[in-house]
Amino acid sequence: MHILLLFSVFVIATCGLIYELVAGTLASYLLGDSVTQFSTIIGAYLFSMGIGAYFSRFFNKNLLSWFIQLEILVGLIGGISSSLLFLLFEHAASFRLILYLMVGLTGTLVGLEIPLLMNILKNRYEFKDLVSRVFTFDYIGALLASIVFPLLLVPYLGLIRTSCFFGILNVIVAIVVLVKFKSDIKWANYLKAKAISVVILLIAVFVWANEIMTFAEGQAFRDTVIYTHSSPYQRIVLTKNKHELRLYLNGNLQFSSADEYRYHEALVHPPMLYSAKHKNVLVLGGGDGMAARELLKYHDVEHITLVDLDPSMTKLFKQNSILYKLNDRSLLNPKVQVINADAFQWLKENQQQYDVVIIDFPDPGNYAVGKLYTTAFYRQLRRALHEESVVVVQSTSPYVAPKAFWCVNKTMQACGYETIPYHTYVPSFGEWGYVMASPSALQVQQDSIPSGLKYFAKDVFPQMRQFTADMDNRPVLANQLNNQVLVQYFEDEWGKYQE
Amino acid sequence: MSGGNTKSNALTRKDFLRYMALIAGATITATEFTACESKKDRYGHIKGSMQGASAKLGHQLRDSTFPEPTIIDHVEAVIIGGGVAGLSAARIFQQHGFTNFQLLELEQHVGGNSSYGQNDYSAYPLGAHYLPIPNPNNKALLELLAEAGIITGYDASGIPIYNETDLCYDPEERLFINNRWQEGLVPNFGVSKPELADITRFLAAMDTFRWAKGTDQRYAFDIPLLESSSDEQFTRLDKITMAQYLADEKYTSKALRWYVDYCCRDDYGAGINEVSAWAGIHYFASRKGKAANAESSHVLTWPEGNGYLVKHLKQYSAQQANTQCLAYKITPHEHEVWVDYYDVNTHTNKRIVAKAAIMAMPQFIAKRLLPAAQYDHAFVYSPWLVANVTLSEVPMGSGYPLCWDNVAFEGKSLGYVNAQQQTVRVTMPEKQVITYYLPLDQLSPVASRKYAINLPHAQWVKLIVDDLETMHPNIHANIENIDTWVWGHGMVRPHPGFISGEAVKAARQPVHERIFFAHSDLSGISIFEEAFYHGNNAARALLAKLGK
Repeated sequence: MHILLLFSVFVIATCGLIYELVAGTLASYLLGDSVTQFSTIIGAYLFSMGIGAYFSRFFNKNLLSWFIQLEILVGLIGGISSSLLFLLFEHAASFRLILYLMVGLTGTLVGLEIPLLMNILKNRYEFKDLVSRVFTFDYIGALLASIVFPLLLVPYLGLIRTSCFFGILNVIVAIVVLVKFKSDIKWANYLKAKAISVVILLIAVFVWANEIMTFAEGQAFRDTVIYTHSSPYQRIVLTKNKHELRLYLNGNLQFSSADEYRYHEALVHPPMLYSAKHKNVLVLGGGDGMAARELLKYHDVEHITLVDLDPSMTKLFKQNSILYKLNDRSLLNPKVQVINADAFQWLKENQQQYDVVIIDFPDPGNYAVGKLYTTAFYRQLRRALHEESVVVVQSTSPYVAPKAFWCVNKTMQACGYETIPYHTYVPSFGEWGYVMASPSALQVQQDSIPSGLKYFAKDVFPQMRQFTADMDNRPVLANQLNNQVLVQYFEDEWGKYQE
Repeated sequence: MSGGNTKSNALTRKDFLRYMALIAGATITATEFTACESKKDRYGHIKGSMQGASAKLGHQLRDSTFPEPTIIDHVEAVIIGGGVAGLSAARIFQQHGFTNFQLLELEQHVGGNSSYGQNDYSAYPLGAHYLPIPNPNNKALLELLAEAGIITGYDASGIPIYNETDLCYDPEERLFINNRWQEGLVPNFGVSKPELADITRFLAAMDTFRWAKGTDQRYAFDIPLLESSSDEQFTRLDKITMAQYLADEKYTSKALRWYVDYCCRDDYGAGINEVSAWAGIHYFASRKGKAANAESSHVLTWPEGNGYLVKHLKQYSAQQANTQCLAYKITPHEHEVWVDYYDVNTHTNKRIVAKAAIMAMPQFIAKRLLPAAQYDHAFVYSPWLVANVTLSEVPMGSGYPLCWDNVAFEGKSLGYVNAQQQTVRVTMPEKQVITYYLPLDQLSPVASRKYAINLPHAQWVKLIVDDLETMHPNIHANIENIDTWVWGHGMVRPHPGFISGEAVKAARQPVHERIFFAHSDLSGISIFEEAFYHGNNAARALLAKLGK
């Protein structure tokens, strides 16, 4: 038998198994749970190969040309599959669909290869001989692939380069057949041009594999994505691993279920401790219902008004069973009134006065959100307060962004508030800061706090008020609508930290 | 008369082509011209309207004869013109408890150059759109701002505290230069060291002028403009053009020349080759504002521009204002003034007989209404195009983010102002509105006016979109609607010799001791502060005349 054709079988078989392994690895890497991923990917792949084998019967004429076409196509699709899947992972809502479509397509094409090749060779060799040789080389190729993949390819080349490399091999098979059987082949020049362009494309992907990877990983999350939703306001992503659930808004971590109690207890209980009355509470932001959960631990809280911009956020935390377990169904509590509105605008129209106000906005990372941390905002807020009301503002990290943190403090002081800045350690966030404020002098007003807290206690608070030199107060300007210095501090400090 | 003549000299397509090419600074082919007319191109989806100051109604003044009125009203005083000057005069009347007056306005609404519009997404300016923080000695204006709640108090050293939501929100200004948006309008990004040195030297010179005083102990450049020093060492600068001044002082930087030209076009609708050096320097050196909670260079602005100030001012003539009333003849008599006007609402000719009148209108109209008065052609008016563009989103662009004022270096226009900058909302509404400003200074004012008034909407769309595309490639796909507004006589132009000349001095003089004039063109520059000043002065002079 022509040694060249047998070599082709060998290469094809190796490539085919490699694509399968790449898809399985990628799926378990991105989606977690490797047993399920590998098992379903291999199943889907083999089944698709069956579909391909079935369709091979419809190829009757120009078999060599079709075989070459097929090799180019397998090379292209198999070669770029991993890059494509990495890049598309960010659109996680439909990622599984895309993944199985890719696996199905590659499987179908690979399934076509061997039957087609056998059809080509059937008149040149004895059938018994043909079957024996083709399958021998097929299985040798498979063995080779399964050995080099974990030992050499993944550690040294990585997934993107591996699939590119084998894509190129597929196309080389096409080119070799093209050259050897020139006279028997229709559309030879067209096929040659096509093969060469695919090789060039794959070489390019091979060369820029690192860039593609960096770009894709920047978008991806390290844990299993269990929910994604793009609302008009933000992109909500929930991820899960063995230990925790994480919520990301526009790619920024909002909480980890493992330690969010530290963040939310520190946010809610100090202002409650310093406020004589708890009857009427306002929460601005905090659509996850965690702050409301803490507030509902006080029996003297009669009404909570929660104003959050994004209806899809509050809806999610009302309706999703995993999530309403986290917030103890706080958003479904009859004491809690959820309003979806733009906070500043809503405050302008608000007529009520509140005993405690919890402000849990996103960090001031852009000029739009920066408006919610200005003197204009805190003056507007003053109209929703009485003399003894107590406010708390989540104020980013005093360790990473001390100027930004102290700017929030300064801005509130500039509006005539008495303030108490404090901070706590939240493992998933790092050192985190808050500013408590009131129109009148701040003093502890409560004898006790609710029992059953995991972190906060009355005697812990004095420690939280201590700032070490690396986080301590420094000269900053007050943040105004017409200077937005906070956004600049925040960008400078976080920018440097993330470099 | 400098008004556009729509009757004779019909303009050909070729004329328009030349005119468009002139504005666009490029060749526009006849095919392109036809293409956008037939709307089969990439601008085809953009809707919009064309509006402007009621030129047609105004031209009746020139072209028609009116019958003798039969309906006659008697009042003590009449204000003709409901722009900032007229509304300010009415405010002074009310403050003196004087209510027996009428105000006549040609348009459907008062406000003049400070008019504004509103669509489903935002209010937006149709003309003047900001007020710089006033100078400390401009007590009258500070009083107005305090009364309107824009100044909320004074700090310990007497410096005004402004309402934060009325100050321009940060980020304020950006310039598109060398394919990148930089912060601020003074060219910096990619500008060479020697050019930067020129710019620094120029700005330092302007700062020296800012605090310079003449032998009469007055500031060399002040607002109101008539408070400025009459010292010859400064007033002689009114004899030369701003371009000449730059050449005399050996400023060679191209970036600086562009910047100064941009500033002059912004305030006067004409560039450094047209306006006097005194006026050019006044732009930089007259502002000495102070605020407890803002820098002196900051401005006050609102989504509807100075329409916000008009909303406050117009309360003082709520009972007295009559809109769509075209005054066509004003006749002084020994003890009274007759004001004949055409009431568009009722299609009737009416007469107001008053003891005295304030003509709060530009000179080119004022002198047409008075018998035997001659319009002095020293008064030249710059035509303008203001376009409000509704779009799904202003593209990001690279560099500094979207600001209130967004300008392209060496652009044909003055760029655009983002109407929704002044919102406290975190999220933008579904659509945004930007206001695009284009001074029509490519031809003489008379010629520009003639072309601009007759240029079809589709052609404006092409000009505006092409210009915006230099800053934001492919922005055309985001644009939904463009409403154009042509101001035929947008701003008085301070050409050399005008501000210090006789014409403007003569125009300030009352006629027959009972007809007073009030308009920013009596200062020679078209800004809110001047209109307000002349409105106040005329009202006080009239009250004195009537012994009130």
